[in-house]
Amino acid sequence: MPRGLLTVMAGLLLSGCVQTATPASFFELSPDSARNKALQTRLFETTNEKELLSASAAVLQDLGFQIEESDVGVGMLRAAKERSARQAGQEILQGLILALGLLGQQVILMPVDLHQQIGAVLATHRDEQAPTRFMVRILFYRTVWKGDGESGRQYIPPGQQWMEVINDQDIYRQFFAKLSKGLFLEAQQI
Amino acid sequence: MVAGLVLSLQACAGPQKPPEDLLSPSEAQMKLRSFQTRTFDVKDSNTALRGVVAALQDLGFIIERANAPMGLVTAGKFAGEGFSGFVEVTVIVRNTGTNQTEVRINALFNKKPIDDPKVYQNFFATLERSLFVTH
Repeated sequence: MPRGLLTVMAGLLLSGCVQTATPASFFELSPDSARNKALQTRLFETTNEKELLSASAAVLQDLGFQIEESDVGVGMLRAAKERSARQAGQEILQGLILALGLLGQQVILMPVDLHQQIGAVLATHRDEQAPTRFMVRILFYRTVWKGDGESGRQYIPPGQQWMEVINDQDIYRQFFAKLSKGLFLEAQQI
Repeated sequence: MVAGLVLSLQACAGPQKPPEDLLSPSEAQMKLRSFQTRTFDVKDSNTALRGVVAALQDLGFIIERANAPMGLVTAGKFAGEGFSGFVEVTVIVRNTGTNQTEVRINALFNKKPIDDPKVYQNFFATLERSLFVTH
């Protein structure tokens, strides 16, 4: 969406003339949705959904996650892992200071006080085209909040939250490799 | 000091009576309810519920919690400019008793109910795809 349009919408929002500018698009499939689905989903030759969920929970635990929600009837798991963003922020900051120091610039230290959580949501679905298979779809995401500092290239005003979907292929491959091993089944791509 | 006294005396006046129509749906809410509900030709409500979960995942939502016997799922995602807005939805699925399933969705954007019918139309279009299209 063009920047100018977003600015106008933000302006309208602030003036209270329009309640919500763009929520309709939140329920439309984006052009990325097919690609994301392929990234996040694998097929397993099994009809034992409980075992799939159980094994997935075990993998998440191995990866340091705490299981927060689960429901067998629907076939879902939600997990989270606390991860200090402070260290990551400080490394970036130190790198920056070093770089600017080399260029002879004076740098003012900005304390990074961030809280970061990595989340994962998993759901199992029967494969409509092959009843002997189940699909496992997992989404990894990161939430950063209570900041007065920076995370990556984003400035986070105090008390704000910022969320990022993790699209790194390796993380998904790693998860499915572990799951595959735990189940003694091959993880097939959709 | 006087203001403080006055305020505290007002507190002694006893609790105020809540408006009579506090729990009654307003006309706007009744209208909204019709946008938020749709019936599908799906016999099994659990199948419909799983279809809802799949559709929400396709839309990039984070499934917060689900309860199969209740036919309930809640989900949310950050959206909008800089991902600073928060969309949350509650979906309830139930058998209508005529080999059909009724799906009702409540959507909030930054804690305020979304009253744009287009939003709900889009959701149901995505859900329909998820329920009836084989990939």
